[in-house]
Amino acid sequence: MHWYPRILCPFCYSRSISWFEASGEGTLYSFAVQQRAFAPGWKEEGPYVTCFIDLNEGDRMFGVLLDVDVSKPEDIFAKIGSKVSIEFVKANDEVHVPYWKLAS
Amino acid sequence: MTNPSMAAAIVGAAESDEIGFALSEKGTTNTMLHIEAISNVCKQVGISPSEIEGVFSAGFTPQIAEYLHIRPKYIDGTAVGGSSFELHVHHALAAIAAGVIDVALVSHGESGRSARKNQGRGTGGGGGGDPWAPGAAFSGGPYGGWGAPFNYAHAMTRHLHQWGSTKEDFAQIAVSARDWATLNPRAVMHSKETDPNGGPITVQDVLDSRLISWPLNLLDVCLVTDHGGAVLIVSAEKAHSFKTSPVWIAGAGESMGHWDMLEMDDLTLTSAVNSGKTAYQMAGMGPGEMELGMIYDSFTVTVGITVEALGLAPRGGFMELFEGGKSGPGGSGMPINTNGGGLSFSHSGMYGMMLLVEAYRQLSGTAEDGVNGIAGKQTSAQTAIVNGTGGSLSTTGTLVLVADQ
Repeated sequence: MHWYPRILCPFCYSRSISWFEASGEGTLYSFAVQQRAFAPGWKEEGPYVTCFIDLNEGDRMFGVLLDVDVSKPEDIFAKIGSKVSIEFVKANDEVHVPYWKLAS
Repeated sequence: MTNPSMAAAIVGAAESDEIGFALSEKGTTNTMLHIEAISNVCKQVGISPSEIEGVFSAGFTPQIAEYLHIRPKYIDGTAVGGSSFELHVHHALAAIAAGVIDVALVSHGESGRSARKNQGRGTGGGGGGDPWAPGAAFSGGPYGGWGAPFNYAHAMTRHLHQWGSTKEDFAQIAVSARDWATLNPRAVMHSKETDPNGGPITVQDVLDSRLISWPLNLLDVCLVTDHGGAVLIVSAEKAHSFKTSPVWIAGAGESMGHWDMLEMDDLTLTSAVNSGKTAYQMAGMGPGEMELGMIYDSFTVTVGITVEALGLAPRGGFMELFEGGKSGPGGSGMPINTNGGGLSFSHSGMYGMMLLVEAYRQLSGTAEDGVNGIAGKQTSAQTAIVNGTGGSLSTTGTLVLVADQ
């Protein structure tokens, strides 16, 4: 299991690969509060919280953490290791972007 | 397999005529900065560029060789971010030990400040760059990630969590760098006269500075400047043939763990643990014998993580080296980043060359060499550990250097 998708498995080097539906759940590994955003399409979005998520299936994903108070990073810090789940937000008719939310 | 330790020595190190913030009005180019530094180091050493046999740079080698009419026997353009120059020294050592060449040039020139000012974008040392480009350093662009501070901030957060360190602990690294900068008249942050944020600064100043990417504040983050640098490396047989004194390459190692930070297993451990081990083994020395640390400081967190990976401090215990000014001028511990570092001296995007220049300055027996017009040296170190970090805590090159006895 590897994210992001590639043509060869970086663990066993097999080229026999396929998509599968993951649980969409994991834990918060680390985060940072981006005061200013530089990524195309994100420049109007800052400040927001970026995060690395350890997936239940075993690899790691990167994304934005929703529904947290960017002015209180200490509160988010206390949540490292906590459960999160994915939420797909529609960007346009063709693209949905995966975001993350702390489990309530 | 023979051990290449001490098969070659650095016999000179120099910078471009000017460095810093102020060059963007002058149309300074990468090439000019390379050539100034090369011209300066050749004059210092007493050698003609035509005697150079191996040309090493971070992706600029054909241009440099052509400009100087060098007909090289060895061409190396390894470009893996700011650590590239430590890798070049490793490669030059190997090429010299193998008998392929006797004289190697490693150079760098990068108008990082001017590029940002004049073209609206930085040159990128690997940690930044365009995440939409093939082979980009980070796959997170579409998901809100971009640039170097954003990446490194996640590593600092993880260190705070995993090891119980504090922002104050990291801030001490920035304070130490500024203190050294007050002794270096070429440092961008030399004083309040050279810059409003110039040295000295306090831990509170760091914590009060503008938030960039929590937990990184502005003063946790390196400068973006224009600079060039160059070192000459020769075989042991030739090491005493020049005006300057040699600094010996006792150990060298390189490694990497990932390129994209998404592939980094533990955000608080870099491949310096491996490149360091290789360098120590080659040198037959250990961290306890290192008397000077030149540790790549793109961010305060880079230094904290790296000194632990190199065994200079225990895991989670980097602050032992910095607390109470131990690493600074007149401190009781190992002096670290004595030129002021990328945080306070100069950081063009790829900083690793300046680690080499400063390590040479501190270890070369001839203070009158007057490297870059800075008189004397500030330490009595006879050994140094130099570690470059490139990309997003990705590639590392470690050198163990020793003074001529």
